[in-house]
Amino acid sequence: MFVYLLNVGVFICVYAILASTLNVMIGYAGVFSLAHAAFFGIGAYVAAFVAINVSSSLIAVLASSVLTAGVLSLIIALPALRVRDEYFVVVSLAIQILCVTIFSEWKGFTGGLGGIVNIPLPEILWGSVSTPMQFFLLALACLAAITLIIGLIVRGSFGRSLMAVRDNESAALALGKNVALLKTLAAALSSGLAAVAGVVYAYYLSFINVQSFTLDTSVLVMAMVIIGGSGTIFGPIVGAALLTVLPNALSYVSFLPQSEIGSIQQLLYGLAMILMMIFRPGGIVGAGRSKRSGN
Amino acid sequence: MVLLQLLINGIQTGTIYALTAIGFALIFGSTRIFHFAHGAVFVIAAYMFKFTFGDLGLHWTVATIAAVSAAVAAGLLVNLLIYVPIQRHEGSYFTVFVASFGVVIVVQNAVAIIFGRGFSAIETHLSNAVEIVSGLFVAPLFGIAMVCSVIILTSLHLILTRTHVGIALRALSQNPELVRTFGLSTRGLSTYAFALGSALVVPGAIFTGAASGLTPTIGLHIMLISLVATIAGGVGSNWGAAWIAFSIGISENLVLWRMGPQWSEAVAFAFLLAFMIFRPAGLFGLAAAR
Amino acid sequence: MSNCFKGIVASLVLGLAAVTAAPAQAEDISIGGIFPLSGPNAIYGEIFQSSLRLAETHIRADHMLDGNLRILYEDSQALPQQAVLAMNKLVSVNNVPFVMSAFTGPSKAIAPIANRTKTVVVNGGGVGPDLAKLGEYLWNVIPLANTEMRSLLPYMVKERGYTRFVLVYVDDPLGEGIREVLEDQLPKLGANLVNDYSIPATAQQFGGLAANIRNDRPDVVFLASYGDQQVQIIKQLRQNGVLALFASYSAFSTVQALPEAQGALYATQAIDFEADDPFTRHFVNDFKAAYGKMPTVYATNYYNAAMIFAMLGKELQAQGKPITGKNLLEQRRKTKSFALVGGSVSFDEQGTLIAPIQIMEVDDSGGKVLKVEKP
Repeated sequence: MFVYLLNVGVFICVYAILASTLNVMIGYAGVFSLAHAAFFGIGAYVAAFVAINVSSSLIAVLASSVLTAGVLSLIIALPALRVRDEYFVVVSLAIQILCVTIFSEWKGFTGGLGGIVNIPLPEILWGSVSTPMQFFLLALACLAAITLIIGLIVRGSFGRSLMAVRDNESAALALGKNVALLKTLAAALSSGLAAVAGVVYAYYLSFINVQSFTLDTSVLVMAMVIIGGSGTIFGPIVGAALLTVLPNALSYVSFLPQSEIGSIQQLLYGLAMILMMIFRPGGIVGAGRSKRSGN
Repeated sequence: MVLLQLLINGIQTGTIYALTAIGFALIFGSTRIFHFAHGAVFVIAAYMFKFTFGDLGLHWTVATIAAVSAAVAAGLLVNLLIYVPIQRHEGSYFTVFVASFGVVIVVQNAVAIIFGRGFSAIETHLSNAVEIVSGLFVAPLFGIAMVCSVIILTSLHLILTRTHVGIALRALSQNPELVRTFGLSTRGLSTYAFALGSALVVPGAIFTGAASGLTPTIGLHIMLISLVATIAGGVGSNWGAAWIAFSIGISENLVLWRMGPQWSEAVAFAFLLAFMIFRPAGLFGLAAAR
Repeated sequence: MSNCFKGIVASLVLGLAAVTAAPAQAEDISIGGIFPLSGPNAIYGEIFQSSLRLAETHIRADHMLDGNLRILYEDSQALPQQAVLAMNKLVSVNNVPFVMSAFTGPSKAIAPIANRTKTVVVNGGGVGPDLAKLGEYLWNVIPLANTEMRSLLPYMVKERGYTRFVLVYVDDPLGEGIREVLEDQLPKLGANLVNDYSIPATAQQFGGLAANIRNDRPDVVFLASYGDQQVQIIKQLRQNGVLALFASYSAFSTVQALPEAQGALYATQAIDFEADDPFTRHFVNDFKAAYGKMPTVYATNYYNAAMIFAMLGKELQAQGKPITGKNLLEQRRKTKSFALVGGSVSFDEQGTLIAPIQIMEVDDSGGKVLKVEKP
């Protein structure tokens, strides 16, 4: 049973990393992206590729995944961020769907629906990470590191400029902020760090396939950020914990049919999204009413 | 001949997309709300028709009325219960978008629980294709769909150009401030927009159910097309949205001439990306800057 | 706000507590079953569970094992990722030594876990040829596609005279496996794979596909799909003017009632349901009594799988050894043959059952056997 808890714990950490990094875009930069799962996937596939073909050293794999995701995000964000705010959502949707098609069809690299199996264990300085406890500590360490990084950035001048852009883009422009650059950097940071979640995920399951990186996942992570509280440090983590534990908790409610758990879970968080937006847009951890000015 | 067949298939798909897109464009244009739940309304209409016509065995006119009522009710309820409260206190476009998305998720899963997650079709012999010319197969359903679409689109055009409400709606799309100065209630007009836009999904929903079948997730796909079409067509231009949606339908099918169906969906989105990056105002953009 | 926060923390703790409160099993011997219980392939899960219920009853009634046999089911939806999560749970939480699986994609995905944790996985439904080579802990109680095709294709080419084949295959490990088999075997028989079409696992619209296939003018349209999708392909192709004969692998055993599929050819393993050995009669009679119809090959495979576990487990218990994956594998290797439904069968070195193949034609009364080929 303890092993089961560690298992849930690893997933909570993975999704918390995804939610926290998405929060950099949504909560701090005010850029709403539905493409986060695509970068989760890019991180995971690069991790698998490097671990199997080059070296399973954790450092090497982390570096390659984060760099690849960051650079790809930069390349995509540069033209994409030129569109107006509201439309960026749709553009990110397009990017997400195109990435899923590529993940499904580029079988040489991703294995398509069959996926990549037999991903080796991560090698660190003094051995390899193999037991559930070790994996949980690894995931926790990554989450802690990323939370620290995000916390430092947000309190620094980059973070303040970002929030200025989020609250009133025209004013920020008038004040001389390079809005395009700020948003692009935020996107690159967000996607690059999301790749870390991909690395942990790929190593832990030792199997990845396109199913984990679809629009459904992007929406789930977005729900975690919204429900937990965007624009706060711990909101996304709370949201991630809640929405990850939910299906497990639901499967113990006796009158619910096992085969419908997935649908019921989605229904509940869809409902939560609606109610949150009506009554508490700031999320669980956020302030009662969002301080963001309407568009 | 294959190409011609694919073109015919594309026209059928394109028409369905155009009808749904124009409904969305109407709503989005008049209210500027990212009414993602339009896809949910599509699903509700489709399954309502399947339920009344297929499962209960009622006559198709009764089923159609049921579907239209369900769609309009759904659209109006979403507006009343969700969008209006949100706009009252905050109303940033993202909050509305998230709530709308939430509606899609709730409806999709509710339908999956009630009707099953698998595939359902509206059984009718009208979808049996007949060989018109050697190598060209067309189902009677195609003819019916074409005729209905022409009638509906013409009626829509008449409503938008000849009736007071219609003209007011178009004005709302282009310049809401001016409409308010004229003393018209934007709230009341929004309600009309939702009702009309939601009713417009019904033909598309019925034909999709009969021609290619339904799953609970079909709303999302149609919604994405409508979204792409409205934005690429230019906000404020309903016909722009219809044209783009139609072209997407045709390209999705023509792509099959050389590539597998996995790429059909990607085509629509490659379309969008190109437009967004090279012509952000859309093909026929008419809206005044906000 | 702090009250709300407390509320959240409380629910989280409650959630975790609920999660930890799994009932402990003292006398039960648990094995796992990872099947599609929902989604477009749920029909297979139902079939497998129907015969497994019978197996549980028989095993308990005959006191084959010292302890109650319990089968823990998990829903894979026939998809690899869900199967992996289910397998992890069964292995690390429920500590099962033996898991039954179905479908090629999911089985391939869990094979590495089986080998790493020394848990036996038995596949009774997937036929992708790769399944034979996925390690010593993945056993197959169903002959794989290459074996099925080695009987079906020569029959179609030599005895029926078909030479132009078109393949429609689902874009996953099973579909790809079948494509490789056809590409390999058809030219050797002098037949031609004119074209092949890959379709996404979620596709339901086949109008465009029909147009392309009509253009190819094939004698046979070979399908590699399953569940709802294969039904839709058959219906829509016929509706859109594709008149060629349909053929497939064993999955066609579920389309018997479909009018558009009548006359289609397929291959499955040959199970002699009329055999008069007590084991077979026990199963067939009880199945008919419980469900009102004859069992199919798929249902039988999983009954057999559970029986194999019971037989091996019984032996291990007699020798005083614990029932672990490792011991099960060792015991299987020592066992020359198993008396299962339809007769006596044995495993080859790679852990795949050696069985005769029968070629069948779809008719609305359970299929007509055209030919049986011994291995």
